[in-house]
Amino acid sequence: MSTQARGLNNFISDLRNAKSREEESDRVEVELAKIRKKFNPGDAKLAPDGSNPSLSSYQRKKYVWKLVYIHVLGYEVDFGHAEVLALVRSKKYSEKTVGYVALSLLLRGSDPVMGSVVNTMKADLTTAPVPGKKKKGAVKNDAVQCLALCSLANISGLELIQALHVEVQHVLVSKGSTEPVKKKAALCLLRLTRTSPNLLSGREFAPHLGQLLEDPHLGVLTSVTSLLNGLASQHPADYEILIPHAVHVLSVLVMKKACAREYLYYRTPSPWLQIKLLKFLQLYPNAVEGHDIGMEGTGYVAQLINVVSKVLMETDVSDSINKSNADHAILFEAVNLIVAWGTTCPAAMREGAMKLLGKFISVREPNIRYLGLMTMAKLAQIEGSVEGAKKHQATVLVSLKDADISVRRRALDLLFVICDTDNAERIVDELVAHLVVADASIREEMVLKIAILAEKYATDLRWYVDTILKLISISGDYVSDSIWHRVVQIVTNHPQGDLQGYAAGTLFVAVSPHRCHETTVCVAAYVLGEFGFLIAERPGMSGEEQFNVLHQHWFNVSTTTRAILTSTYAKLANLYEECRPLVAPVFAKSKNSSDVEVQQRCAEYASMREAFSPDAVEDLLREMPPFEDKRRSALELRLLEKEGEDSAAVTKASTPTAVEQQRALQSAQMLNGPSMEEENEVGPLDEQGGEPEGEGGDGVGQEQARGEEPPEDTKEESMENGSATPVVGIPKELIPAMRKAFSNLCTSPSGVLFENSLLQVGVKHEYVGAQGRISVFFGNLHSSPLQNFKVKVDQPDHLRMQMQGTQDLLDDGEYDSPGCTVATKTQAKLLILVEVTAPFDDAPPMRISFDTEEGERHDYPLRLPLVATCFMEPVNLDPGAFMQRWKSLEGPERECQEVMRLPSGSVIDEAYMERVSKIIVDGLKFGWCQGVDPTPWTVSGAATFRTGAADANGNNINVGCLVRVEANPKANAFRVTTRTLHPLCSKAIKNVSLVSIKLAM
Amino acid sequence: MISFILMVNKQGQTRLSSYYEWMNMEERVALESEIIRKCLSRSELQCSFLEYRGFKVIYRRYASLFFIVGTKADFDVRKSALASGAKKGDKGVENHENELGLLEFIHSLVETMDRWAGSICELDIMYQLEQVHFLLDEMVQNGYVVETNKSNVLRPIDLIERESKKNEGMFR
Repeated sequence: MSTQARGLNNFISDLRNAKSREEESDRVEVELAKIRKKFNPGDAKLAPDGSNPSLSSYQRKKYVWKLVYIHVLGYEVDFGHAEVLALVRSKKYSEKTVGYVALSLLLRGSDPVMGSVVNTMKADLTTAPVPGKKKKGAVKNDAVQCLALCSLANISGLELIQALHVEVQHVLVSKGSTEPVKKKAALCLLRLTRTSPNLLSGREFAPHLGQLLEDPHLGVLTSVTSLLNGLASQHPADYEILIPHAVHVLSVLVMKKACAREYLYYRTPSPWLQIKLLKFLQLYPNAVEGHDIGMEGTGYVAQLINVVSKVLMETDVSDSINKSNADHAILFEAVNLIVAWGTTCPAAMREGAMKLLGKFISVREPNIRYLGLMTMAKLAQIEGSVEGAKKHQATVLVSLKDADISVRRRALDLLFVICDTDNAERIVDELVAHLVVADASIREEMVLKIAILAEKYATDLRWYVDTILKLISISGDYVSDSIWHRVVQIVTNHPQGDLQGYAAGTLFVAVSPHRCHETTVCVAAYVLGEFGFLIAERPGMSGEEQFNVLHQHWFNVSTTTRAILTSTYAKLANLYEECRPLVAPVFAKSKNSSDVEVQQRCAEYASMREAFSPDAVEDLLREMPPFEDKRRSALELRLLEKEGEDSAAVTKASTPTAVEQQRALQSAQMLNGPSMEEENEVGPLDEQGGEPEGEGGDGVGQEQARGEEPPEDTKEESMENGSATPVVGIPKELIPAMRKAFSNLCTSPSGVLFENSLLQVGVKHEYVGAQGRISVFFGNLHSSPLQNFKVKVDQPDHLRMQMQGTQDLLDDGEYDSPGCTVATKTQAKLLILVEVTAPFDDAPPMRISFDTEEGERHDYPLRLPLVATCFMEPVNLDPGAFMQRWKSLEGPERECQEVMRLPSGSVIDEAYMERVSKIIVDGLKFGWCQGVDPTPWTVSGAATFRTGAADANGNNINVGCLVRVEANPKANAFRVTTRTLHPLCSKAIKNVSLVSIKLAM
Repeated sequence: MISFILMVNKQGQTRLSSYYEWMNMEERVALESEIIRKCLSRSELQCSFLEYRGFKVIYRRYASLFFIVGTKADFDVRKSALASGAKKGDKGVENHENELGLLEFIHSLVETMDRWAGSICELDIMYQLEQVHFLLDEMVQNGYVVETNKSNVLRPIDLIERESKKNEGMFR
């Protein structure tokens, strides 16, 4: 029954018979050349759309299919677009189908050729069947509509969205649309709103969705629920009113099993729809607060609880694997809902779920076991549930040894979550034991997690030291530098007990054999250098012997390790007379080392004694001071890097345990005498507030808000170009107003960036995470057209931009475009899609130039209000968490601070403070952390700076940002302090905050 | 959402692919070959899921054919999870697709193809490329399951076949 073209089949057969990838790619090259020639033979005249009119329908379809096939095989296909579009435009259904399929597969939405297909798509979308006409025609139209919707959903370019979203919405809610059209329109709209999140007003649209949820067609319901999930996760509050609808649909499926026969999947009513409904409900974690199983009531909450209980209690293994899988898919989703409800969920339900999962993680079926482990890790994080999970520890340990890496990973993750002070020793010992046989793909992750657990839950730090030494000896190559650095930090910072002596003794033994891992040598060198004196009295561990055990490794280790050894030798030589003759020749010899670090150290240590007084030498070789205690250790950062902010493991790793806190307190007392907590608090403004720094607020404004560059430089440029027309820049008197307009725009979604008698430049911008969409409108206010109108936007390294604008508007610098003409009282438009890839502290320049009819050339260098705070996402922290992070971000590289005095006459009162907090929340997009300070004169906020750049593991890089604004009403001054992990971020936030606070006057 | 669907033979050659998020060719070829390699090297006794570079991959084997579905957590869902998660003591809600759900979706896809072409095999997919694409488009659209009712899925394909007969065969 093959209806496929013979030529296509032959080609596919050829490729299939190719013996190697080379042969295949040669064949593909030949074919591509042939098709290229067919599409553009050179002698034939092409149609206005660029397609070759002499091709028959059959040929065109055949060649396009070949291109699709080549693309699927992984070859770049960069021509033939005109032919694809010609198929889309065709009146024949059979050609249209091919055209649309090829369009979705070969092209991306941002491709410029998409513009030319907008009208065809619009026409196809709106060809609704006319009621009453012949039935056959109706079917066909609805099929065309479906094709257009499906293709639009798969590609969705910016331009297409802008041109078509109204139609798509209309088609979705229209009474005249058929079911297939509705279901495709729903998913199409989902795609559009995902690219352009503020397309719809949730409050207005929710009732329409409610109506669609009453549709009896399950296909429509399935795709409408997908749409609902997408919309509701952006604005949950707007769609809360639809919970009863969702519960109703779900309960019909679960309780009554009422569903059209074709939608039954192995006797289960559409499992995919059930899953989607349960996912929607997960967005509302407080939906069942205060309710319990079996409570009286007919409301939807009682109904929902009944449904979930039924799923939980009555799902059973059946003899059909498909039936069983489908039912368990729903069951796991129901447990996810329980996880989302958290502590507000009836306790019996949570316990029931935990019990079920306990059963799942011990079955043989690997899929169920995998999901059981994964879901249990989520459930165990709910307050009070970890005890239930701990009961299954032994079972989880079995899965850790499973043959399947996916299962092992989940087991490791779960063990990490359920580990606490009670079971840490057991779990860590098991993990260490397993490490011996664990394969390479999971070792690094295991080593890191073991190191973190051992540190967090060690009741005795000697155990921690032993554990890390074991890690090094079993799997030394996977023990990163940050892990052994951490050991050194901990030993140095914990003088209590006999930890330091113990560590020195243990490491002496560990480093004694001739063969040992280099990392052991590093740790031993450092610890013996610092604390070797504590064991020097023990038999066989004198200074001389310490030198000997270390020095036996000298020739086997890298230069980095030798550099560490050198310092240790210097310290040993300083302490023990008898070591000096041993150390001196090493230094003498290595003074000529090819490694700069080793050479320098040796040279300096060797001549130190002659060069300095004994006191100074003593000072130089003294014990190292304790390390600064960072809230987020290097290991946690590494875990964060690997797993991303959302990971359960990261959350756990960054929460200090009781043991850790107690330990920290003890060492603080040992090291510093009485507790000095007081000092760490951020001082009130009074200390400094009376004397703001000399620099006025204006200076700050300039840094961020320079909306212009000196006009001189534009003049120079045009002179060089030999242009004779005078160039008009931005008049000086406009500058203060522009500066204000720019600052305003930085914190508001739309406004006017520039305005004079000729031109008005308006900007609308919105952001989601690391991405933003900026529309710039250039309106001609003059009485005659503006000609040669060009806009040039510089693309800095830290921003990835995609631009689309009125024809010829954009000056991309590649060729000398004449620019476009903006008629009087009309607008030119520029759309910019931007993704940020790195922190930055400036705003991208945009240069506008045009000629007036009077022959004047105008050239305005402006800047787009695209600043770092545009990419913030609010984080809400409670006061404790805020202060904790605040303290952990101390340090000159991370903090930025500036004091600003307000002009006399202005008054700082509570209303003013309210405006300030509004700016921090609405303008800068920070989460307002209330209650950090008791006074009304301080505002604190937290946010995450999102970038679209990915780290080595494909997770996006984000920077956490904190800001504090402290006011001193008496001095009429403000102090803005920002702390982030990135100096540029700190600076940028500080600048924007200062400027906007000033504007709040 | 579903990021891509692959149909691959047991030699690891891709016979059909459909991506629902744009990826440049270089990235795509690298990702595809690595995922295929991983899937092919797993035994029948291992679970049907694997995790790779932020993707959760769900696969199913039918004789010599592998059906591979790659999914990612929804972008906007990830975002709201972070915002609300931070508030409620850092409880992240990661909204991935339901693994078993997709595993059975693959089966439903295969059953639908079976109904259309008898028992589906690698050659059907290769030599009826167009129909398979149409069929897939009826079941998945921009990364979401849209229809699982087999009659509804196959209706437009019947239409095309009827249509092409009327036009003396879509391809003669």
